[in-house]
Amino acid sequence: MEEVKCYIPKTLKEALEIKAAHDVIPLAGGSDLMVAHKKTIGLVPEFEKPVMIIRNLSELKGISVNDKGECVIGAGCTAAEIAADERCPWHLRQAASRMGAIGLRNSATVAGNIANASPKGDTPGPLYLLDARVRIASLRGEREEKVSDFIVKFREIDLKQDELITQIIVPLSEDDFDYIFWHKVGTRKANAISKITVSQAIRFADDGKTVADYRLSATATGAMTNRSRNVENLLIGKEICDKTIEDVVNGFDAVISPRAMPEFRREATRRMIRRFLSEAARRPQNKVIDTYDDYHVTGQPEPRECRHKKGACHG
Amino acid sequence: MVAGDISKAVRRVDAVSKSEGKTRYVSDYDFADCLWGRLVRSSIPRGIIRAIHLPEMPEGYRFITYKDIPEGGHNWLHMIATDWKCFAENDVRYVGETIGIMVGPDKATVEDLRQKVVIDYEEQVPAVTIDEGLACKGGAFVNGNNIHCSLKLDVGNVDEAFAKADKIVTETIETGFQEHIYLETNGACCIPEGDHFVVYASAQCPFYISRSISPLLNVTPDKVIVRQITTGGAFGGKEHFPDVVCGPLLVAANVMKKGVKMFFDREEDIENSVKRHPSKVVFKTGLDKDGNITAMESTVCYNVGGYLSSSFVVLQRGCFHVTGCYLFPNMRTTGYGVATNTFPSCAFRGFGAPQTLFAVETHLCHIAEMQGIDPLEYKKRYFIKQGDTTSTNGKIVERVMIPEMLEQVMKASDYERKSREYKWGSGKGIGISFYNHGGAFTGNGEQAIIKARTKLHKFADGRVEILCSQTEMGQGFHTILPKIAAHVLEIPIEKVIFEDPDTSRVPDSGPTAASRSTMIVGELVERAARLMKPRYAKEEDFTVETCYEHPEGYPWDQNTFQGYAYLGYGWGVCAVEVEVDPCTAEITTKGIWSSHDAGHLIDERIVHGQVNGGVLQGLGWGSFEVMENRDGHFRQTSMSDYIVPTSMDYPKQGVYFVENPYEWGPFGAKGMGELVFNGSAAAYIDAVSRAIGKRISRIPLPTEEVMGYMLHGTDIKAGIEEVR
Repeated sequence: MEEVKCYIPKTLKEALEIKAAHDVIPLAGGSDLMVAHKKTIGLVPEFEKPVMIIRNLSELKGISVNDKGECVIGAGCTAAEIAADERCPWHLRQAASRMGAIGLRNSATVAGNIANASPKGDTPGPLYLLDARVRIASLRGEREEKVSDFIVKFREIDLKQDELITQIIVPLSEDDFDYIFWHKVGTRKANAISKITVSQAIRFADDGKTVADYRLSATATGAMTNRSRNVENLLIGKEICDKTIEDVVNGFDAVISPRAMPEFRREATRRMIRRFLSEAARRPQNKVIDTYDDYHVTGQPEPRECRHKKGACHG
Repeated sequence: MVAGDISKAVRRVDAVSKSEGKTRYVSDYDFADCLWGRLVRSSIPRGIIRAIHLPEMPEGYRFITYKDIPEGGHNWLHMIATDWKCFAENDVRYVGETIGIMVGPDKATVEDLRQKVVIDYEEQVPAVTIDEGLACKGGAFVNGNNIHCSLKLDVGNVDEAFAKADKIVTETIETGFQEHIYLETNGACCIPEGDHFVVYASAQCPFYISRSISPLLNVTPDKVIVRQITTGGAFGGKEHFPDVVCGPLLVAANVMKKGVKMFFDREEDIENSVKRHPSKVVFKTGLDKDGNITAMESTVCYNVGGYLSSSFVVLQRGCFHVTGCYLFPNMRTTGYGVATNTFPSCAFRGFGAPQTLFAVETHLCHIAEMQGIDPLEYKKRYFIKQGDTTSTNGKIVERVMIPEMLEQVMKASDYERKSREYKWGSGKGIGISFYNHGGAFTGNGEQAIIKARTKLHKFADGRVEILCSQTEMGQGFHTILPKIAAHVLEIPIEKVIFEDPDTSRVPDSGPTAASRSTMIVGELVERAARLMKPRYAKEEDFTVETCYEHPEGYPWDQNTFQGYAYLGYGWGVCAVEVEVDPCTAEITTKGIWSSHDAGHLIDERIVHGQVNGGVLQGLGWGSFEVMENRDGHFRQTSMSDYIVPTSMDYPKQGVYFVENPYEWGPFGAKGMGELVFNGSAAAYIDAVSRAIGKRISRIPLPTEEVMGYMLHGTDIKAGIEEVR
């Protein structure tokens, strides 16, 4: 029987020592790695390098709020833990709660989801949106980097051989915005990979009309999660009107580059942007805006008259 | 004691052991001392094998090919036709075709060696789609025209009706591949024992395997004993396909003089197993000046794949069902089984009927909508009744309760109000479909081909054993059949033994397929129990035997396909309500209501389970289950990209039945396992089409396709292309 060489460090320090000394693959939840390396049933998976199992390191566990009010998530936290913890920002909780199936959510970690650097990953969309950072440790010291910089390109991250992700720090939350939006179009309603996911958030200035901040990110629309501050700036400092909406819609359309189902992904993105902004401009009572009036009430739409305004979705 | 109405649900005999995880499936057995086998398959869709380069083979390992078939043996798998080879010889016709089997004692070594086998091909241009097959892309490779099989049916005078028609419209309806996704993947073990072999397999039809693979060694079927192991789902995917798994194992076991076992992974199973036939049905329909149908001509093309195997029978059933639950004055149907370089298509719940039923239902909706008429009102004009002529010039023998079933479904779904209030294109829609399924083998096939026999044995201690070849694969037959026997004999069901079949022990009562087990074998057991009953108390140890007898007076000609194709149909009505997300084109199914006529139900809960599963499987086929074949390769190869629905995708179903006992069935029961699949896709597509206000003529329909129709689709009320 073939064997996989495994290191099982007991402390973060030990893990960093192993990482400094050996070229190892860190494995926490294993939900990506075990699938990627599996062989036929009954055979041991084949890893080209030794594996370092870090799922039980207590230093990588726990969710807290730091003195700046930022949400600090241990790299070893699972999707299920994030989905259930109200200290985590709403967008991230939504994404974590719809990642894969229940068993996967109990195992998969947010750091793994980032490190996998898949354009279809569920958590990068909200993390990009909220300016999240990864905290990285090595024997040489610690550093922080924005998630959107850390993911360099398709399936590539900015992690040196001796480094480990230890935390994800999310500075913003839904409290920083007046209206929020997160919608995943999955391959089905549960246990689904994203066909497209759009995250948005908006804050108005004190006049109630001028947009003070607007954020927009999309998943599965290109080689990496897409967000563009330049496009968001087309709206910031202005009021929402047909023209500014279309500026954002067209600006973002030029940013994304979906390869498969391009028409669907582009059109759904355009419609979700128009929907969110035109609804937000109405200043509804509910903070959460979804594609469809019924969704945010119970999660399961109930029969009700559609309140869509002409132009909101149908263009 | 099983008292009162047999329909009253009992606890399934396998409920506890399956819930506790104690039931053992074929890969749970040790089969110690057996060698491991792994198949080497074609990686190209069409070509010539120039050479096979083997790695250095350690002692005890061997690569088995057609050359290892002993003298006198036949390199074929008998699946109705015998054209499907066990091992490719000089050419390959599809990706996944078995070239050889690597065998040896250590599984990892076998896998390693298998991956090192290099096949040197001369590649040829493949034909993958029905159109490419018909166009003989790359040159014909079957019969000079790539038509594996064809048939023609004629009722009335279509040409005359067309000549008189006010107009003739034409449209094409298409359906895609569907993968079975049984919970348990394929697997088997073949062990030499003295002068014979014993095959342990996850399978629907143990006698099929014996008959199919014994010619490989030129031995009689009784020398290949098949013991079916409790099977974790099949849906038709383990009707003939286990022959493809077991054939190489038999040849290998014969060479190695040792047992050989092989179990597929999920990806291996998805990529290298049979699928539902993709279809293309072209209608030409004559209408009078009031928009009534005067004649319907349909050309039915099924993508059969590289080998014919059982597909002619699938095509026949498809053509027999193309007129659905309707009587049209003049009908002509031509069917073609098209050769392509894809994995051979085979049985899948419905066996050819779902494709044509979807086609005719959808076509009728379109004709109605083009005239601005509610599809239900239009379809009602043509409902078939008892005594009416069928597509094969037979008659409908039984009472047809569609009006009663429709009333149940309309009431439960509030169809009338919703159909009126949800304007076409409003984002909300309700759809309705009608469907049937001819029970058991076509015509006199049960008598002419299967000749089913069953035995019932009474032991001195009062227990009774059922001996037949029917298999449990999750559908509940281990409960149904003992329940029938216990009910007749008035003994507790626990006293009835019904074990997984062993072909050396049980008579051949035919395959567990074609919705025939309850209807045909159930009746044989009921009859045997009635014969046993007067002797039960008096005699200690005895056996009674029953054979199938076809009712007199219902002729069928298998050469011309004329006559009574089916004596008992299951009938169904299904309504589906949907809402469309105007931003993302996601469809939310708001309601599913169905009514079925399965005769008198043997067990309400089991039948209810079949309805829930069948309806959902049909909705999956119509919506998410995209299985593309590009250049001969299936693109969806895992459960994360081949999307079967989960229970989260649909609301609780409204399930209704009508009581319509079948004269020749046990306690009046008819077949229903396939029926419940046959109609939900059409109702769903009708609903979506009304909700988005666009005409839909192709399934599956994933979200991106809905968006495509919303952006560019033809308006639901637009006229259909006219031929004249």
